Amino acid sequence: MLDYLVSIVLTAGIYAIFALGLNLQWGYAGLLNFGHVSFMALGAYTTVLLGMHGVPLPLAVLAGMLLAGASGAFLGMATLRLREDYLAIVTIGFSEIIRFLLLNWSSLTKGSFGLFGYPRPGENLVGAMDYNLFLACLVIGVLALVYALLELLARSPWGRVLKSIRDDEAVSMALGKNSFYYKVQCLALGSAIAALSGSLLAFYLQYINPNNFLPLETFYAWIMVILGGSGNNRGTILGAFLLWGFFSGTRFLEGYLSFSPSATSAARMVIIGLILIGLMMFRPQGLLGDKEELAIGR
Amino acid sequence: MARLEIMIEQLIANGIVYGCIIALAAIGLSLAYRILNFANFAHGEFLTLGAYFALFFAANLDLDFLPACLLAIAATAAFGVVLDLLAWKPMRSSGASRTAIMILSIGLSIAIRNGLIIFFQPDALRFPLPVSQGLDINGILVTSFQIAVVLIAFAAMLLVHSLLSRTALGKSMRALADNPNLARISGIDVDRVIRYTWAVSMGLAALAGIMFGSITHLNPNMGWSIILPMFAAAILGGIGNAYGAMAGGMIIGITQELSTAILPAEYKIAVSFLIMIAVLLFRPRGLMGGS
Repeated sequence: MLDYLVSIVLTAGIYAIFALGLNLQWGYAGLLNFGHVSFMALGAYTTVLLGMHGVPLPLAVLAGMLLAGASGAFLGMATLRLREDYLAIVTIGFSEIIRFLLLNWSSLTKGSFGLFGYPRPGENLVGAMDYNLFLACLVIGVLALVYALLELLARSPWGRVLKSIRDDEAVSMALGKNSFYYKVQCLALGSAIAALSGSLLAFYLQYINPNNFLPLETFYAWIMVILGGSGNNRGTILGAFLLWGFFSGTRFLEGYLSFSPSATSAARMVIIGLILIGLMMFRPQGLLGDKEELAIGR
Repeated sequence: MARLEIMIEQLIANGIVYGCIIALAAIGLSLAYRILNFANFAHGEFLTLGAYFALFFAANLDLDFLPACLLAIAATAAFGVVLDLLAWKPMRSSGASRTAIMILSIGLSIAIRNGLIIFFQPDALRFPLPVSQGLDINGILVTSFQIAVVLIAFAAMLLVHSLLSRTALGKSMRALADNPNLARISGIDVDRVIRYTWAVSMGLAALAGIMFGSITHLNPNMGWSIILPMFAAAILGGIGNAYGAMAGGMIIGITQELSTAILPAEYKIAVSFLIMIAVLLFRPRGLMGGS
């Protein structure tokens, strides 16, 4: 029972951190990041590769966050002066490129073979039996920290400027705010948070390969953010647990259906697609959302 | 030296074939962007859908391949009109923002791709076509299918050109793109023009998908796998500009193939991405100016 609870906390918690990064970009600033998973992948691979070469893990995690943040900032600089859809196109492309690189740069990443046997934090202190429990506590701690930071930011002048840009960019520009730099910073910070979740995912899985980071993962985060109500951090965390419930619920049903494995997972994806369509058509503010906070305007 | 020249010429020939497919797909993407005003991330799936329709009709209606393809193009175009009535039109009339419509298109893309996996299995399939004849033109090897792809693509581009420049529908489309409100008050039936736009955009996508499937193979991921070169072509040509999309498609196709002379073939797709970033950084309106 405890094992089960621990696995819920680990999976949903890591995805909640991942989705909080997206909520900062989309919910606060209205930025369309369709390649969020690439930053998670950058975080996971950087941490694992540096860890394998003996770099202390906190530094390795930080390096992943910096790399992801810098990549996010670069993509933002290339597109954020243009209409909002360019960021969407470029980030979706970036997430494919990163996956191609991870698959094909075999000398570094071992390609589709994946990486395993890398160091994890606190392995010497905690026994193998209790390791997941320890990691779950770490994930909760990080989640709480990220949540607190984002709530603080939302109430800070920085967060207020972001929201004003989302609601009416012309007004905030007229008040002398350089909206371009605010958006670039926001994109970088959200990407760094995604990288942090990637490092935690790598610690949890003990084995990573490029197929952990399919473009679809990005849209799980989108569903979590939109379900919970864009711009609402608590809602995003709730969304992560709801989506986790959907996955484990359908996995439970699988036992009773006689579909082939590929058809079952495809059927699950069809439902995911339909949820996105349905949310956009009938409830764009999500379950807990506030229409006033909605970046996808009225 | 002569061998190097032949290799380069061969890569250019391959690039033209691939570029034709990207160009047809990018025209549809660009038209939809111009007139419907959003980036349609489900466009790749419309290519896939066209290819699978053709396969399905050829196998189940006992048709020859060509009539099956024509029927598939018509069916995909009709599907576009149905989608407009079921999804895009309600979104437009509820005043949903562009971003909401783009997220909807992502949902649609995920649903179609996985729906095809359920019905056709994830494995690669082939069209019921004979093995194509190889031809040797001064040392460059091309297949009869590749030549057919290029000829049909150019014919389709000419058709798009005459549609846009010569017909009343084309004029209404351009008017709608330039100023929707002005178009509406001057008596253009906006919803009707939009339905036709979807039909043209998705019919071209189906044609591109069938071509892509006939020179390689079909799998439910095929359209998604080239979404990046499609967008790169549309952006390079100036997004919203149909002629730009044609040129952009050819340039992307040829550059991607040429890159394999110096880079491993796996990195082809990264070339599209680099071109796209470079265009956005230095010439965001594209080579031919877009909307």
